[in-house]
Amino acid sequence: MVVLALGISLCVSLVHFVRIVNAGIPRDLAPAAGEVSPAVRYSFTGAMSPTKKESAYLHLPTYATGIIFHLGTFLSFFLFVWIWIGLPLPGIPLVLVTGFLTLSVACGLSMLGKRILERKLRLLSNPDDYLSNMLVDLFQATLVLSLWISAMKPFCFLTMALLLLYFPVGKLKHALYFFAARYQLGWFFGRRGVWPP
Amino acid sequence: MTNDQLQHAIDLLRPSGDSRLLTHLNSCVHCGLCAESCLFYLATGDERLTPARKADLVSSIYRRYHSVTGKLLPWLVGARELNSESIDEMVELLFGSCTLCGRCTMHCSIGVDVTFLVQTGRKMLSEMGLVPATLQATVQAAVETGNNMAIPVEDYRDTLQWMEEELTDEVGDPEARIPLDKPGRKILYTLNPREPKFFPLSISAMAKIFYAAGESWTLSTRMYDVTNYAYFSGNDGEAALIADRLWSEMKNLQAEQLVLAECGHGTRAFRWESPNYLERSFPFPVMSSVEYIAGCIREGRIRLDPEKIRERVTLHDPCNLVRNGGVVREQRYILQSFVPDFVEMTPSGIDNHCCGGGGGMLSMSEYNEWRMKAGSVKAEQIRRTGASIVVTPCHNCVDQLIQINAFYKLGVRILTMAEIVADALIIEHETRIAKQSRAPLK
Ligand code: SF4
Ligand code: SF4
Repeated sequence: MVVLALGISLCVSLVHFVRIVNAGIPRDLAPAAGEVSPAVRYSFTGAMSPTKKESAYLHLPTYATGIIFHLGTFLSFFLFVWIWIGLPLPGIPLVLVTGFLTLSVACGLSMLGKRILERKLRLLSNPDDYLSNMLVDLFQATLVLSLWISAMKPFCFLTMALLLLYFPVGKLKHALYFFAARYQLGWFFGRRGVWPP
Repeated sequence: MTNDQLQHAIDLLRPSGDSRLLTHLNSCVHCGLCAESCLFYLATGDERLTPARKADLVSSIYRRYHSVTGKLLPWLVGARELNSESIDEMVELLFGSCTLCGRCTMHCSIGVDVTFLVQTGRKMLSEMGLVPATLQATVQAAVETGNNMAIPVEDYRDTLQWMEEELTDEVGDPEARIPLDKPGRKILYTLNPREPKFFPLSISAMAKIFYAAGESWTLSTRMYDVTNYAYFSGNDGEAALIADRLWSEMKNLQAEQLVLAECGHGTRAFRWESPNYLERSFPFPVMSSVEYIAGCIREGRIRLDPEKIRERVTLHDPCNLVRNGGVVREQRYILQSFVPDFVEMTPSGIDNHCCGGGGGMLSMSEYNEWRMKAGSVKAEQIRRTGASIVVTPCHNCVDQLIQINAFYKLGVRILTMAEIVADALIIEHETRIAKQSRAPLK
């Protein structure tokens, strides 16, 4: 089931990826005032830091919550493969991983709660936003539980399959577009001599 | 509106050409963290005015017509039809409450180019003939008369003559000139039509700088308008037509270099967008007057009196020149070279807030109320500096700042860069004559 979902997910994601790469970067006939490479590097590093990005420094708790949640998601994918191929997870790492993923799930739920409670976010949200968050929360939660209760493993595999299938369809695909967007931003501000500042 | 127009507007969202549109239409995660980057949201607290809402208005229509999920399950991904309801909202949000300042883009948590999406939405509205009448009238005036204020040639010539008299008095040299239509000069200089129409002294201020630098320059009668409001209306055809006139005038007058007057969007539209509108590269160098003045100071071609400006001065950064145009340091270099009490706004430079008059807002009188409200952010920034002079290298911003000044009772003076520099210029006739003999006027 997971293999099939993974196959479908990879194929559809590949279509997105190929579309982006095939379309290529914009053509700009105006003479550049700066360099693209350092600006792209800055776009992925300095410009993302909470010292420079207003969406981060004005919202530090949300920013931290988001970082933990994303780290938790990557860790969950890694752990899923770990469990899948049947590798053991000894005591201390198991406790640490459980602690971090529990925190990550809490962060995900708090983001969901914020989306439900804050009018500004509610106005902006569509069912996809709630569903995407819930799927990732559920995946992380079932994974943590299956680390301790082996009867939970089928649920974990099921949520993983759903997550994989949904990934290229809804907003979760931002994991792919994020890189293209940051690159484009670096390209734009780099050519114009704005970045790096 | 015809079905054809509607279909053309929808087609504009079909990602083609490069990956820019495809990327930004698919990247927003609806985190809402960009809200505070936008002066319209900051000033009003209205949740409909967040950058994300404006971007999503465009992306949601894209999803409805160009994405599989949006076609099959529109309710799931918030895909919207292009209908009278969404169109009304587009006009209100994309024209009425966005200055295309790009601040949200720079600070977006993902990197969504909100400005580009708003611009794409404006192109759709333009395709459907729904550009606000006031903005379209400004574009039309430029297309039909060659300048956006429809100034008759005679009035323009008279104003220049009057300003030439001002210049001769000011520099004490009866030979000082404001050259018009002189072929073969090094520089063709442009104007914002607001100058001959309302603020002619800024023409004599720049002429004084050219005079002091011993520059070989000229203005044109046929095409002097630096602005290009079609960039804001979203009509690339008209934007190309307006830009092409300046290219042609450079050729007509055989000028070597184009210096653009202090106009943020005009500089952006010409320096950055016109080669793409016209699909050709510049055969001549183009620079803003700010870069030109900074160069004159750096090369010692003009000298400024540091005793002249005793008041506290602050600087407003025009979004199109600074955040979207990369001219960030030159204006600071100029002011720091002769203003002893220069203070930055907070935030400043590429992070500075828009004045609220950009994006064609000043010409769209139907949105005056929102524009003045949005201006409260800038008013507060100015107030906090304690400055009594606000300098900004953009006539559009000057216009908005003058209105903010009166509306919020700030009691400051608003000057262009040329004006404050001209005030402090040291005119040395001997030096000027020596400069001229080193670089003779053509
Ligand atoms: S535009 Fe950027 S900051 Fe704003 S909601 Fe979308 S992803 Fe978040
Ligand atoms: S471009 Fe400027 S005015 Fe427009 S939504 Fe973004 S921050 Fe607001």
